[in-house]
Amino acid sequence: MELKEELKTKLIEALNLEDVTTADIDDNVPLFGEDGFGLDSIDALELIVLLEKNYGIKIKDPKEGKNIFKSVSVMADYVAANRTK
Amino acid sequence: MKTIHEINIDNSSAVIDGKRIDTSRSGSQMLTELYRIYVNDYPKFFKMDILCKLGFIASELLLQAEGAPRFTDRADRADRAILFFNHSSSIQADKAFEETIRDRSDFFPSPSVFVYTLPNIVTGEIAIRNHYYGETNFIILNERDDERIRQVTEAAFTDPTTTSAIAGWIEAPDNHHFTAALKLITK
Repeated sequence: MELKEELKTKLIEALNLEDVTTADIDDNVPLFGEDGFGLDSIDALELIVLLEKNYGIKIKDPKEGKNIFKSVSVMADYVAANRTK
Repeated sequence: MKTIHEINIDNSSAVIDGKRIDTSRSGSQMLTELYRIYVNDYPKFFKMDILCKLGFIASELLLQAEGAPRFTDRADRADRAILFFNHSSSIQADKAFEETIRDRSDFFPSPSVFVYTLPNIVTGEIAIRNHYYGETNFIILNERDDERIRQVTEAAFTDPTTTSAIAGWIEAPDNHHFTAALKLITK
């Protein structure tokens, strides 16, 4: 499975986005904020756990997440460049 | 005190003011069914633990029965209290969180599960949804005690601000067994 699709699937599962399918998540739409996908700060923490659990990426400063979780595309690029598993 | 509306929900039925609401599912799926039919504008519902889902749906149905305008002319109201009681606290969320930290080789504490490991989160969820800034209270009892619930509710009305309350028993030891017996009460 392509990394972006894989991330979308894991994101939906980890965040309990019950009414959402991978097709609903545009690669470039902002994940956070009212103009985007509407995720909140707890979701950001859950995404940090997701990256560590699935890709061995440790984000020590939650503020880093702001840049990494801009969109699925940005997230996928970061994972591809930093994954350890 | 006067009971304006009353709702009773268990894992197989939902009854508002003595009238059973049609449902085809049971357990947590019934709560989701009720959400989709009667609410359907608050996606955060899907992230809630079973106690919050139960309290959220029960409060929504109570407030819909009340029929007063919501989210418009009476924003940020402090005159309505939320007074809940149960026995099992937030045990379902506590266990779910414990699952995420049980195995040292697979130790990934879940933040989104952790946020529900307090029973009074459900009172907060309802207060946030409805812009209630009044008293919120969640009391753990050894067993259901309707007289105690009545006394605490009566006491809440002794302050100069509170004129109504959503009050009652809300118990959810796991995803398949739950009970809510809530009332909308005025002073």
